[in-house]
Amino acid sequence: MLVLTRKTGEGIIIGDNIRITVVEIKGGGIRLGIDAPSDKKIYRQEVFDRICQENKEALQWNLADLNALSTSLTQKKGQS
Amino acid sequence: MIKIVTRFGEIEYDPTKTVHFPEGLIGFEHLRDFIVMPNEKEGPLFWIQSIDDPQIAFVLTDPTNFFLEYRVKPDQRECQKLGIQSQDDCFCLSVVTVPTDRKITLNLAAPILFSPSTNRALQVILENSSHSARTPLPQ
Repeated sequence: MLVLTRKTGEGIIIGDNIRITVVEIKGGGIRLGIDAPSDKKIYRQEVFDRICQENKEALQWNLADLNALSTSLTQKKGQS
Repeated sequence: MIKIVTRFGEIEYDPTKTVHFPEGLIGFEHLRDFIVMPNEKEGPLFWIQSIDDPQIAFVLTDPTNFFLEYRVKPDQRECQKLGIQSQDDCFCLSVVTVPTDRKITLNLAAPILFSPSTNRALQVILENSSHSARTPLPQ
């Protein structure tokens, strides 16, 4: 991993069209400004990781459970 | 028709009727094409099977079956990726987690936007929302 030291107001350029600026450093947190093309997806890492993990867990299922659930969910809907 | 072998057995599908995820799903960016599988039993749940990886299949549902107020609309950039003109040409699906205790949860934090007219879909992350990636069904 490339490690760089930056001060408030300084930035980093990545490729042709991504610019990251250190906006503010305060109380252990760093505010970053990111200029990137609108087709670049930008997520907080922990949010992204959480969805990755959830998608992985969503792969663990079997048809017997799905069929049983479909029956019970349809019955519930019929009752309401 | 084309046949593939999946973890659920052999599946036959029409290659013109697959759903294309131009960016894959989150964490599965390399898997772009899925077959929509109607469930054997009637009900709100169905599943999509990856064409490229026989092990990968996700259970999906229309979240408004359970959460009437839940709405997610694509922004302009997402409309472009879906190949649609209007954000109304698209509806929302949720990935369902089916644990062995059958207490299912819906991932309302990362819905799938689906355009039936172009058969394209995107999974988006709602970063600034209070929705959980593991939302239980309402009691």
